[in-house]
Amino acid sequence: MRALRIGLLLGFRQIQRANFWTTSLIIFVMMLTFLNLIAVSGILVGLIAGAEVAVREYATGDIIISAKDDEDRILDTQTFIRELESFPEITAYSVRYDGGGTLEANYKERRDLTGERDTAAVTVTGIDPIMEDEMTHLSELVVDGEYLSPDDEGKMLIGVYFLAEYAENFGDVFDTVENVKPGSIVRLSVGNISKEFEVKGIVESKVDEVNFTTFIPEREFRRLFNRLDRNADQIVVRVVDPDRNAEIKEALINSGLDDFAKIRTYEENVPKFLTDIKNTFDLLGTFIGSIGIIVASITIFIIIFINALSRKRHIGILKGIGIDRHVIEVAYVIQAAFYAVTGSLLGALVTYGFLIGYFDRNPISFPFSDGIMVADPYSTFIKFVVLFIITLIAGFIPAWIIVKQNTLNSILGRK
Amino acid sequence: MSIIVAKNIHRKFGKDKLITHVLKGIDISIEEGEFVAIMGKSGAGKSTLMYQLSVLDEPTEGTVEIDGTEVVDLNEREKTEFRLNTLGYVFQDYALVPDLSAEENVMIPLLMKGMPWEEAKLQAKKSIDEVGMVGKYPNLPSELSGGEQQRVAIARAIAGKPKILFADEPTANLDTVSGTQVVDLITSLNKNHGQTVVMVTHEREYAMGCNRIIHMEDGLVTNIEYLGRFGRGE
Ligand SMILES: Nc1ncnc2c1ncn2[C@@H]1O[C@H](COP(=O)(O)OP(=O)(O)O)[C@@H](O)[C@H]1O
Ligand SMILES: [Mg+2]
Repeated sequence: MRALRIGLLLGFRQIQRANFWTTSLIIFVMMLTFLNLIAVSGILVGLIAGAEVAVREYATGDIIISAKDDEDRILDTQTFIRELESFPEITAYSVRYDGGGTLEANYKERRDLTGERDTAAVTVTGIDPIMEDEMTHLSELVVDGEYLSPDDEGKMLIGVYFLAEYAENFGDVFDTVENVKPGSIVRLSVGNISKEFEVKGIVESKVDEVNFTTFIPEREFRRLFNRLDRNADQIVVRVVDPDRNAEIKEALINSGLDDFAKIRTYEENVPKFLTDIKNTFDLLGTFIGSIGIIVASITIFIIIFINALSRKRHIGILKGIGIDRHVIEVAYVIQAAFYAVTGSLLGALVTYGFLIGYFDRNPISFPFSDGIMVADPYSTFIKFVVLFIITLIAGFIPAWIIVKQNTLNSILGRK
Repeated sequence: MSIIVAKNIHRKFGKDKLITHVLKGIDISIEEGEFVAIMGKSGAGKSTLMYQLSVLDEPTEGTVEIDGTEVVDLNEREKTEFRLNTLGYVFQDYALVPDLSAEENVMIPLLMKGMPWEEAKLQAKKSIDEVGMVGKYPNLPSELSGGEQQRVAIARAIAGKPKILFADEPTANLDTVSGTQVVDLITSLNKNHGQTVVMVTHEREYAMGCNRIIHMEDGLVTNIEYLGRFGRGE
C-alpha cells in the first residue's frame, strides 16, 4: 500500500514532467491499437450485420410466418390474417405467394421460328403492392421504371438478376433474358397457362432474394397458379419494437396461430452460415487486433525500458537511500497504465462518439451489404481489459529488469 | 560507544588472474557523534571502503557491525530497510529525482518509513529550512544550483534522523564557495546535533572541522590523525 502510494507519486510526476509531444505520440499509438482492436473486427462483423439489417428491412421483417413443415402453405390464410390484425404490436405485414415459371422475351421480334427462344426460369412472387411497400419499402428498390399500383393488370416488376445487361457484371452465371426494359412485353408461362405482362419496373437490392424474383399482383398470381384457396406461402411481419419480436412471436403462438403455420423470429430465420461468417470475422478481427496489441506492448516495453535505463542512476540512488524495489516498479507500471487508459479512452471516444455514428450514416457499400460498424460495449470492455493487462506487463518487465540490478552498480553507472 | 565496528575488511573485484585487490584488510571503529573524514589519493579505495561501511556493498572478507547489527548477514530486503532506517547518504551528484520538487524529494524516504503524508510534508519543509533553503520547497532540481541541490540532498539524508550520515566527496562537483557551504553545513550538523558523519574528501581544508582523519593509500589505512574531542588523550 505504501509502495503503491509512493510509486504513484513518482510515476505521475514522471508523466507530468515528460515531454508533451512524446507522451502524446505514445498515447496516439495506444489509441490506434485500441481502435485497431475494436474497429477491424467491428467493421468485419458490421459487413454481415449490415447484410442482416438489410435483409430484415427489405425482405423478412421481424417475424416470418411460413407453411408448417408438413404442409405446402399457410393454412386458412384469410382467417390467419384476420387474427394477425388483432395484434396491436404489429405495424405492417405482407402476404406473399411464391411459385416458379418461365419468362420469355423478344418473341414478337423473332423471325426464325426454329431459332433459340429467349427464356429464363424465374421465381414469381405474388404481392399486394401497397401492403408489400408498407412492409419492405419495395418501391424504393425500383431502379428503372415504376412500382406496381394496386389496380395494375398485366404488369410486373423484375429482379435485376434476370436481365442479361445487369447479370453480365456478375459473370453471366444467371439464367437471363435480353433487352428487357420498362415497357417491354414478356410472357410468363406456368405449366400450360401463359400470360403476357408488361415490365413496369426493375428492382435491385443488396438483398439477393429481391434480385432473384419477379413481382406480380396477388390476384393475377392466384389466377395464374390456380390458387383458389387463397392460401399464401409466406407472411412477413414488422412489429413496434424489433427487440421485442420474440415476445410477440410467443403471443402469436399462445393464441394458437401456430396450428396454421410455422412462426419464427428474424433471429431464428438467420441462416447458420451467416452466423458462422460473423463469428469467423469476429475471430479474424480479433486476430488482426492482437497483432496490434503485440506491437503496442513492444512499443511500451521499449519506451519504459529506455526511460528506466536513462534513469538507472536515479533508480540506484533511490534504492540506495532505502526505497523498496516495488515502489520503483510501481512508478513505471503506473506510466504504462496511464498510456493504456488514456489511449483506450480516446479510442473509445472515437469509436462511440464518432465511428459508429459515421458508419451508420455512411455505410461502406459492399456488393452484398451496406457495412456498418459493430462494437458492443461488453466485448469492447473485455478487449480494453486485455490491452490494459498486457500493457501493464509490458511496462513491468523492463522496469523489473533494470530495478533488479545491483544498487551500487546502478549508482556508479557500472555495467 | 562504537556505532560502526569494521574488522579485517577485504574487497576484491574480478576473478582468477584478473583479481583486483582494492581493500587489503582494514579495521575501523567509529564512535557515536563522531565526525570522521577519509582522505587519500584518487584510487586509494576511499569510496570502496565507504560502500562497505554504509551497506551499499559487501566485503569479500571481514565483518561490519552497525549499531549492534551484523549487516553482512542481512539479505537484500533487510539491507534496504536498514539503509532507510539507520543511514543517510549524500552522493557526489545525480542524487535528486529530477521529476520531484525539493520538498517531494525529501518526503520520499519519510513516506517510505510509513510517515503520513502531511507529517512527511511538514518534516520535509523543516529539513529544507535546516539546510538554509527556506521557501525553495516547490523547486525542481533543475531549478536549483549545484550547491542548492546538494543541500536538498543533505536535507533528504537527515530528514529521517539517521544514526550515521555518509557523504562521498559531496563537494566534488561544486565551486569553492558552495563546497565550503556544504561542508560547513555538514560540520554544523555534527557540532550542533551530534550527528555521526563519515565523509570522504579530497581537500584537507574541508576535513578541518572533523574529529579524526583516516588516511588511506593503496587499500590500507596508513595514518590516523586526531583533531577534536574524540582525540587520543580523552
Ligand atoms: N567494481 C570494480 N571492479 C574493479 N575495480 C574496481 C571496482 N571498483 C573500484 N575498483 C578499483 O578500486 C580502486 C579504488 O577505487 P575507489 O574506491 O573508487 O577509489 P577512491 O574513491 O579512493 O578514488 C580503483 O583502482 C578502482 O579502479
Ligand atoms: Mg571515490
